[in-house]
Amino acid sequence: MKRMIYYTLLVMVATLPALGQQTGNMLIRNATVLTITKGTQANTDVLIKDGKIAQVGKNLTAPTGYAVHDATGMFVMPGIIDAHSHQGIDAINEWTAPVTAEVAVGDAINPFDVSLYRALAGGVTTIHAMHGSANAIGGQCQTLKLRYGVMEPEALRMQGAPRTIKFALGENPTRVHGGGNNIVPRTRMGVEFVMREAFSKARAYAAAWDTYQKAKTQKGFRGAPPEYSYRLETLAEILKGNIIIHCHSYRADEIYMMLQVCKDFGIKKIVFQHVNEGFKVAPELAAQGAMASVFADWWAYKFEVYYSTAYNAAILTRNGVTTSINSDDPELMRHLYHEAAKTQKYGALSDDEALALITLNPAKQLGIDQRVGSIEVGKDADLVIFQNHPLSVYGVPQVTIVDGVVRFDRAKDADDVRLAVDPNEPVEAVELEQRDHDSCLEGLDDAFDTIFGLN
Amino acid sequence: MKTPYVAARLSLALVWLLIAGPLLAQEERELLPVTGTYAITHVTIIQSPGRIVDKGTVVIKDGLIKAVGKNIPVPPEAMVLKGDSLYVYAGFIDGLSHAGVNKPNNENRDRVKDPGNPPPDRAGITPQTDVRNFLNPADKAVEELRAIGFTTAHVVPHGGMLPGAGALVWLGGRTADDMVLQPQTSFFSTLATADRIYPVTVIGVMAKWRELYRQAVQAKGYATTYASARNGMKPAATDRVLEAFYPVIDKKMPVLFQAEKALDVHRVLDLQKGLGFPLVVAEVKEGWDVAPKLKAANAKVFLSLQLPEEKKEEKKDEPLKSMSAQEKEALDKRKTEFTAKYTGQAVAFQKAGVPFGFSALQVKTGDIRGNLRKIIKAGLTEDQALAALTTTPAQLLGVSDMLGSVDAGKVANLVVTRKPYFDEKSVVHYVFVNGILYKMDLAAAKKEAAKVALEGEWTVTSETPQGKTEALLTIKKEGAQLGGTVSGDFLPQPVTLTTLMLEGNVLKFSFTMNQDGRDIKVEVEAKVEGTTFKGEATLDTGDKLPVQGQKKPKP
Repeated sequence: MKRMIYYTLLVMVATLPALGQQTGNMLIRNATVLTITKGTQANTDVLIKDGKIAQVGKNLTAPTGYAVHDATGMFVMPGIIDAHSHQGIDAINEWTAPVTAEVAVGDAINPFDVSLYRALAGGVTTIHAMHGSANAIGGQCQTLKLRYGVMEPEALRMQGAPRTIKFALGENPTRVHGGGNNIVPRTRMGVEFVMREAFSKARAYAAAWDTYQKAKTQKGFRGAPPEYSYRLETLAEILKGNIIIHCHSYRADEIYMMLQVCKDFGIKKIVFQHVNEGFKVAPELAAQGAMASVFADWWAYKFEVYYSTAYNAAILTRNGVTTSINSDDPELMRHLYHEAAKTQKYGALSDDEALALITLNPAKQLGIDQRVGSIEVGKDADLVIFQNHPLSVYGVPQVTIVDGVVRFDRAKDADDVRLAVDPNEPVEAVELEQRDHDSCLEGLDDAFDTIFGLN
Repeated sequence: MKTPYVAARLSLALVWLLIAGPLLAQEERELLPVTGTYAITHVTIIQSPGRIVDKGTVVIKDGLIKAVGKNIPVPPEAMVLKGDSLYVYAGFIDGLSHAGVNKPNNENRDRVKDPGNPPPDRAGITPQTDVRNFLNPADKAVEELRAIGFTTAHVVPHGGMLPGAGALVWLGGRTADDMVLQPQTSFFSTLATADRIYPVTVIGVMAKWRELYRQAVQAKGYATTYASARNGMKPAATDRVLEAFYPVIDKKMPVLFQAEKALDVHRVLDLQKGLGFPLVVAEVKEGWDVAPKLKAANAKVFLSLQLPEEKKEEKKDEPLKSMSAQEKEALDKRKTEFTAKYTGQAVAFQKAGVPFGFSALQVKTGDIRGNLRKIIKAGLTEDQALAALTTTPAQLLGVSDMLGSVDAGKVANLVVTRKPYFDEKSVVHYVFVNGILYKMDLAAAKKEAAKVALEGEWTVTSETPQGKTEALLTIKKEGAQLGGTVSGDFLPQPVTLTTLMLEGNVLKFSFTMNQDGRDIKVEVEAKVEGTTFKGEATLDTGDKLPVQGQKKPKP
């Protein structure tokens, strides 16, 4: 009974909005609602209460005091979720060691990052702000809700979202540590060794603590505890299934290797990122319940990623792999709906399947699909109102809503949306440059000076 | 028989040495003051904010304030300082400073082989360091701060994320130990990252901080158990880094965090929330939104005296050439809006009911008085500003029984000025630090200021890594003010100076030069003596170069 009460309390606390978190009430009227899970519903209203979807149906009435948004002729879809981003955080790569599981980008949330507003303008409401891929085992990532306008870093954190961590295979870790500092890993074999060694140590660490905790209860026990390690403690949490791995990967062989490592250590929660050769190991991924987060049609920016296809997302989907399309980039992030639409040309996915790639599927990969990713009663009111269908080239996001609060409105889009201005700094010019690399090695410019003598 | 002759010569030399030695030493010896008793008479005494005695007397004896008030008898042995038309305040307290603290010598260190596992000191982790080992009373910064009324400072060692323990010091004294009022007053920390070794990011610093703290808690626990009964237990290991945390864990010493930006404050509060240590934040510059959060965390606060610089309009080299007048106006408006927030930070804390002192870690000492006037203009009352310089920091640092007000029994730390301190024309005449009188050489300063005639052409030479360079500095009257241009080896086209100021005999000017398509801001600060000046140029790249000027004779 006591336990029951405890769990009830826990659930209550977990579902309570974070202290002071802004939520809104609203009625969106007469839209074409793209629910993802329950089909497309024409001439339908969505009622939002306290930041949650309260009702989806026809001819709903708004209680007094509710904002009413007429969306006649418009489309409403769930807020877009980007499963791979590096925005909204001040630090990306603790590149100094091959294993840095203890660091967490959640410690460096920057609510003033204007790119979050630009993402809202592209219909994005949730991002997975990730550690970089310099290390075989990088740092912990952070799921953020784009409540742009809040001044508190904590207010961007999606409370209750599961912990996630960045892993990386292939050229990045071998280049930085093997090539740069002449330490393991220098090869793909080395990367596997680093993973296995780390997990073995973590297993021994957790066992040593269990033994100590048990021994401590014995009368007259006077032993020393195992030396505290933040790193091993974090790795042990992965083994316990409390942290989802998001693994930067390209080649089929390394993806398959990582699947074996997971199997050997009993790890069930893994999402492969980039995974450009995922189509070659799609059945193997599906069999192990591993998921995949890919680019729509982008590759050949370095040697290990010369072989890929725009059919990757469709092939993975058809093989039963939960697949998402991500941006890894502040610019691409603003039109993920176009990226999703590409799978209709390359793979003929249905509207729901294509839209799931940027909504429900990334939500599953982040472990937040009970709360976001589709338009269902009880879910968070994270919605985008589109003019024209989001999978059409004419689709343009008009209003983006997070927890029932309008965070972007195209009609009221101000010229200067900066939340903080440093009077000593000039205005940053916005550059939308052609990308020639993935953003995963960001923050390493300094390192490359020393490591490679490059500028 | 030459030996005796040589011997005689030698002994003669020895005699010379013996005579000359004491003579030289005597010349350098500082004389003790004639008396340790002083009386400042007929002076307006601001005992503490709002507590004023008109035409009163302050008697100082043996380093302490003996008596304060009206009709106080002047002791016969006292040296009398006539205070007619002067004002006396309690000496000011700087909440965070490196004044009088030497930098450790970190040159010629080997490259760390494994950047993921560096020795703690290389990663900036040296909490066992005591700032007392680096004190240097001859540091110019001590004298400069004292000259504008600061008598006490909370000083901390230079370093990375955990530089060491701070101490409360007098801004005066002959030896390092003379300077110390209270050692081991704080466990100083910053969010500074290490240079190309772990932790190289702020997330690494945060993780390392937590790990060290938890390891220290664990080590301390075991050491306590072990000390209670050693037989049958593995000896507790000693670790200087972890042991430095023990007084913090016992809440006997606060962690003093340098937290300038709003996000720094949030991050520091996050660490504090998780670990529960007593917290002081200092050198806060962007705290207007976080005041309530600091209050809730029961943190003590020192606000930075550094404010955003006001720059003259740059006529050329607009960063965005395509910008319309309207856009420019909108941007300027936002800049003004935020400049006001920085200047009004103290008012925000006052309104939020969070007590605060000031810290002068990064502000140029020459800017402090001007910035205080700006802060007052932004809405802080003079009494509130005085409290933030005296009574409040004394309380925050736990020394209000000794410092912070002009009351009998407190240490004789006093500032004596002509005109009230916050008046633009106010001049500091005397400063007492721990009972020692420092007279400001006003006549000399005035004389030198009068001598300086800037108008004309100056040849400026500088030593750069690429060799010697020469430039021409032309200073002209522009209306009521001075303005100028600079041209030379690096500047084929003359560039207009962004700022030009003369304070006493200190010349300050700045300009922006374009090199390889990059704008480099240069700030020069130099002491003028007649037709020459000598000083230093600071580039916004962080480089510092020595500069010298020579005025050209009029054609």
